[in-house]
Formats: sequence, C-alpha cells, structure tokens
Amino acid sequence: MSIAGSMAGFRVVDLSTDLCGPFCTMHLGDAGAEVIKVELPSGDPARRIGPMIADESAVFLSLNRNKKSVVIDYRRPEGRDLVARLACGADVLVEDFGPGRVADLGLGYDNLARDNPRLVGCSISAFGEAGPLKDLPGAELTIQAMAEYTASLGSIGEPPVRVGADIASLNTAIFALQAIFAALFHRERTGAGQRVAVSQFGSLLHMRGIMWHALSNPDDWYGFHLDSYTYPAEHGYQTKNGPMYFILRHGSSEDWDRFVIELGMEEYLNDPRFGNYGRRATGIGQHAADVRPIWEEAFKGRTREEIIDLVRSIGGDAVPILDYPALVSHPQVEALGAFTKIEHPTAGLFTTLAPVVRFSQTPTAIYSAPPTLGQHTGDVLQSMGLSISEIDALRVAAIIA
Amino acid sequence: MARILEGIRVFDLTVAAVGPWSTRLLGALGADVIRVERPGGDNLSSAVPPKINGTSVLHISANHNKRNIELDLKQESDRAIALKIIERCDVFVQNMRTGTVERLGMGYEDVARVNPAIIYVAASAYGRSGPMASYGAIDPEIQAMCGWCSIMGREGGRAEMFRHLAHIDLTTATYITQAVLQALLARERTGKGQKIEVEMLRAAMAIQTTKLAEYLATAAAPKPLGSGSSTHVPHQAFLCQDQRYVAVGVVREDQWPGLCRALKLPELISDPRFALNAARVAHRDELIRTVAQRFLTKPAAWWIIALTREKVPNAPFLGFEELHDHPQVRTNGFMVELETPHWGRLWSDGLPWKFDSTPAGPIRPGSMHGEHTAKIFAELGIERRGK
Repeated sequence: MSIAGSMAGFRVVDLSTDLCGPFCTMHLGDAGAEVIKVELPSGDPARRIGPMIADESAVFLSLNRNKKSVVIDYRRPEGRDLVARLACGADVLVEDFGPGRVADLGLGYDNLARDNPRLVGCSISAFGEAGPLKDLPGAELTIQAMAEYTASLGSIGEPPVRVGADIASLNTAIFALQAIFAALFHRERTGAGQRVAVSQFGSLLHMRGIMWHALSNPDDWYGFHLDSYTYPAEHGYQTKNGPMYFILRHGSSEDWDRFVIELGMEEYLNDPRFGNYGRRATGIGQHAADVRPIWEEAFKGRTREEIIDLVRSIGGDAVPILDYPALVSHPQVEALGAFTKIEHPTAGLFTTLAPVVRFSQTPTAIYSAPPTLGQHTGDVLQSMGLSISEIDALRVAAIIA
Repeated sequence: MARILEGIRVFDLTVAAVGPWSTRLLGALGADVIRVERPGGDNLSSAVPPKINGTSVLHISANHNKRNIELDLKQESDRAIALKIIERCDVFVQNMRTGTVERLGMGYEDVARVNPAIIYVAASAYGRSGPMASYGAIDPEIQAMCGWCSIMGREGGRAEMFRHLAHIDLTTATYITQAVLQALLARERTGKGQKIEVEMLRAAMAIQTTKLAEYLATAAAPKPLGSGSSTHVPHQAFLCQDQRYVAVGVVREDQWPGLCRALKLPELISDPRFALNAARVAHRDELIRTVAQRFLTKPAAWWIIALTREKVPNAPFLGFEELHDHPQVRTNGFMVELETPHWGRLWSDGLPWKFDSTPAGPIRPGSMHGEHTAKIFAELGIERRGK
C-alpha cells in the first residue's frame, strides 16, 4: 500500500512500553511512519495485560498496530550498539525509561545526536525530569491522585474514585505527539533535531488548567468549576430505564410551558430556580443540583428515550448515559466509522478504534497488524545491512530474538 | 533561538472551550494566534462563572498567548476583512455546528479559495454525518455518550461523571493541536494545505482505547471499580491509620516484591496466588483484604516513605493548595503564576512539553474582547469604515 500520511518516509525507533509511549507511536504509524518497536527479550509488559485474545493481550493489540517488533537486548553492549545504529538512521526516537536512565544505557540523546543531529528524541516520564519525585515510577492512579483528579469524582467523606480511562497515559501521549510534530516541523525548516520531553503528571496538571485559574482569585465561590469540588457524585438523571443527561439551551415561553405541563411540573412554572426557561435548573445552571430530585420525580414514569425526545423538541440537548455495549452499537458511532477490524496472525480478526483525526491530503491508514514479539527482527537487521550469518550469531548469543 | 511557530499565523474562529483551547498552545509555540470574536464576544464562554474581575475564567484560561479582534461576519464588509486576514494566515480553526460556518461564508471551500495552502480545522461534537450530525454538545454530554461514565464510580455503584467538565473538551483540543502541527509538517514537505476533521465523541473514545479493548475482547461490559483497576492488582487507594488515603499501583511485576517488603508481608512475594499480576487479578478480593488490613496499621505519611524507598508507585491525594507550592510542580514549571493586566495574579497550568533547543512560552495572559482589533488592522493595512 502506498503511504500518503504526513510521516511517510520517516522512521521511528520506539523503546517505550506499556500504554503511553506505544499509544503515541501508534499515531505516528497511522500517519505513515515506519515504527520499529524495540523490545527486550521479555517483551513489552503490556503483552501480558489481560484479557487475552488467543495468546495476545487485547490492550497490547489496541496500541501497537502499524509497528514492527524487533527484539534486542539493549542492556548488553552489542545490543546497545545495534539500537544506536538503528537510531542513526531514524527520524524520531521515543523512550520512557525515566529521567537520565536512557543515558545510563548508553543511548542518551546527546550520544545519538553526535551521529544523527537530525534526530528528534522524545522522553516520557511519570513526574517530570527534575524535582524530588523524578525517579519515582508512576501508575495511573498515583498520577491522578497527585493531580487532584479524584477531587472531581465520588463524594466528600467517601473513598476516592478514579477516572476509569487510562488518561495519565493516553492524554500524555497526545502531548508527546504535539512535541514530536513541532520538533519535526522545526527540523524541516532548520535541519536541526532536538530532544523534547513530556510527563504524565505535567500533562494532567496542564489539563486541569481551568481549575487553577478558577481557584486563583475568583470574584466569588460560584460556578461549576468551583462547585465541582463540593458537589456529590454526578450520576445524571434517572429515568424509568436508565440514566440520561440534559441541558436546556434556547427556549421560548411557549416551549417551556408545554414542556413543564407535559412533565406534570406545573407547580414549578414560576419557581425562580427554574428561571430563564429552565436553564438555571439543568446542566451547569446554578440550581441544577438542588432541583434534581424534582426532575427525577417527573422522569420516573418515562423512558429516557421519551425524555430525550421531549427535551430535543424544545431545542434542548439530551443524551443517554451509555455503557460500552450501547456505545459500540450506537448509530452515530457507526456513522462515524469509529471502529475498524484488523486481522492478526494469532489473535484472528479483532475490533479496535480507527484513527481519530481525518486529514484530506495526508490520510491515516492501517498498514499492518500489531506485531508478535520479534516478528521483524531479521528483516529490520537485514535492512540495516547485517548479513544472515551475523544475525544468526547475534541470535545464538541471545542479543536478539 | 526563535520559537518553533514564529511566523505562523492562526485565524481562530472558535467558540466555547474545544476550539479556544486548541489554538492556545500554538500561541505558546510562537504562532500569532488571532482570536476572532463576534460583536459582544463569545457568548458561549463569556457568561460562564466563575469570573475574575468580571471575566469568565473559561475565557481567561483559554486565550493565553492570543490576540483578540472583533468581526461581525454577518456583515459583508467584515467578512471581506476576514478573508484579507485569512490570506495571510497558515491555519484556520473553527468548531461551530454543522451549517453555521458555511452560512458565515467561512467553510473550507470559501477559505481555501482565498488561501489554497491553508490548514483548515473543522471540529464538531458528533461529526458531519449520522443521526446526531446537527447536534452541538458540551463536555458533559459527550461524557454521557462516550461510555466513560459507565466505568467510573463507586464499586457496585452507579455510573458517574467526571465533574471537571473540561477533560473531553481539552482532549479534543489537544488532538486538534497535534493535527495542526502534523499538517504544518506535511505542508513543509509537500507545499499543500488541507482540511482536518475532528469530533469530540471520537476523541473521547480514543482516550478509552485500552478500556474499550478489554470490552471488545470479552463482550463483558466493564463496571465502576472505585479507585481500582480492572487490569492490575493492587492498583487502588488504601485507607491508612490516620484516615487518609494513599494511592498505590503495582503496574510492573518487579514492583510486587517491593510492595510486600514495604508492607512487611514477605511471605506473599512468592505465594502462587499473588506472585504474578494475572494471579493477583484472579485473587483480587483475597489479596486486597490482606493488604488493606495492613495499610490501616500505619499513617499515610509512613506508607509514602516505605513505598517510595521500595520504588513502588504511590502518591498522596493532593489538592490545589498543596500543589501550587509542591517542589515537584514548582521545579518543573507545571503550574505558573502570571501577572495579568486585567485579572491580577493568577495560577495557570504550565506548558505540557519541554523543547531542549527551542524553548516554548512564556505564557502570556490573554486579552479582552476586541482588544487588538485596531492594532491588527493597522499591521495588515486594513481600513474599516465606521467603528
């Protein structure tokens, strides 16, 4: 398949493991880069995250399409030299060993850039490259806890609740992409590569930036950013058959009256908490939390589909709170073509998310299934100019696999 | 050395949160970002409290490193001015509902006609086709739709929303930012601009890639697990003797012996029920009972010391007051204090990346509605009658 993506012709050496780095480099692969995933003989630990499809980790499969797997034991000098040679012909190198550790392996950016000054190096850390926590390994919950994400979930006095998705890894990967593309853009203009760095903690703190502004010097303790610290768990609105969420946007007196009467809520028609055609009583409106029981009382005999239609009929927004089965089969998700299928040599046909962003001139594509461990070791080493007998000798010495 | 996007100009016809946040980081990289607002300002963000000195924090925080002009695109004369500005821009970003931008004469074809090399971003809530194509949405609606509430909440409890109603907005914004940078890179290589489409719903699904993979592999709908994880055990909060919680995550096999040593439970290290993560996931309840008991015997401060010594991922649950002066935050510039002309001293998020040879930033406080209209007109040699 010919490659039209923005990274066509670029080679990426990916030393990262688990979720963050691989999610980043998968996007580079989707954009047409040749991504060489260098793994230790034990393989990316993500290969062992359950559940499994046949013998392959579903999580690993979801993060590693469009890559080649090369097994090199870079902890040994001969293996390190091979990775250095790979980096010499690469445009991007991604690593997540932790601050300074890649240099300890003899693969630090400065070292590699002596032979390849056009290289863009991207380092991903848990807590940043300086400071007292720089060497502490991270985990999804510990990063979320430090960045006060759990302050927006659960209820005061109850055990912490985390964001369910792996945001400390996956959102950080998007910032890594920004940094890599920016550095490559700069290199196109100047010829100079450089090292860039992102961290999971810094990324999550960045994404909570509105909160820091809100907490700095507000005119009053008022508004949903601030309320979110003290409100109880937000479950949306219960109906007869499941939760939904709604807001009233525009509205006219006529629509509002009809809506209220239809719901049997006439007694609240002139209640100031429902003022501005109900806008104060829904969504981020100032009385939304107080009047929720009133809405839920009116909704309890109706399905959420009925409520959604009714809200939409007066120009409001209403959506069901979906679980995964409902999401995956939702007609809007189908219309978007959000999912795709990939045939894998051992796991068979599996379903995964298609690339998210659409580019009219540099389209993304799925070129290859996620690799099995060491699937491309021989091919890649040959492309570097190693002979079959040299490769065999490295295999016997367990430098490669 | 000059910043990376020095010389790049952005026409920012965005509203609410997704669009404005997407261009903000381009400004920090050196682009000249011109935020174009309708008369009276962006009514989707300017009214939202909390406010500082009367300005919505949503407006303040989303507009750093930008200049702000007012144009009434419903007027032919202002539309002509907009096109003159667009001729000198590299990037155009809009996140209006399907149809709205076309009615303003600012669709991709309109813009590409005056500037074929433009990188044009069309961001939407649900996309331009399908039964919900015409709908706009704010963050909590996409949270509801995208499935992620169903994996958040108390274990055994109901689905819950993330009350920081901006994470999906910013996720979409960051996807846009990387896409723009990618397209700028492509344009350097090919000379061609292009159209980029992004939807909030798909961005929200993308950050659930791993969780959706678990579901698609098993067909079992995942449930809320409190602070816990479906894939790694233990990876959750533990209550300590002083009634504080500590977050702990054993996410690598080599961290398990360290946890056992810190807890003084060395017999568990090679216990076949717990020795490997897969076994610990299978024996979750048994293991958590034992471990949770042990955490109750000492205060959180001790566990943080003991776990850090053993290099086991751990953290206290912090809040803003502890964060902004935390040495880890200060040293890395993850939060920064800004002096602003309109709003006094503010805490802002720092930059999410570090460039070793072309440092980005500094973060410059945003501007009020229409603040730079006259200046930008003068720079570009544009004359407007009236006003």
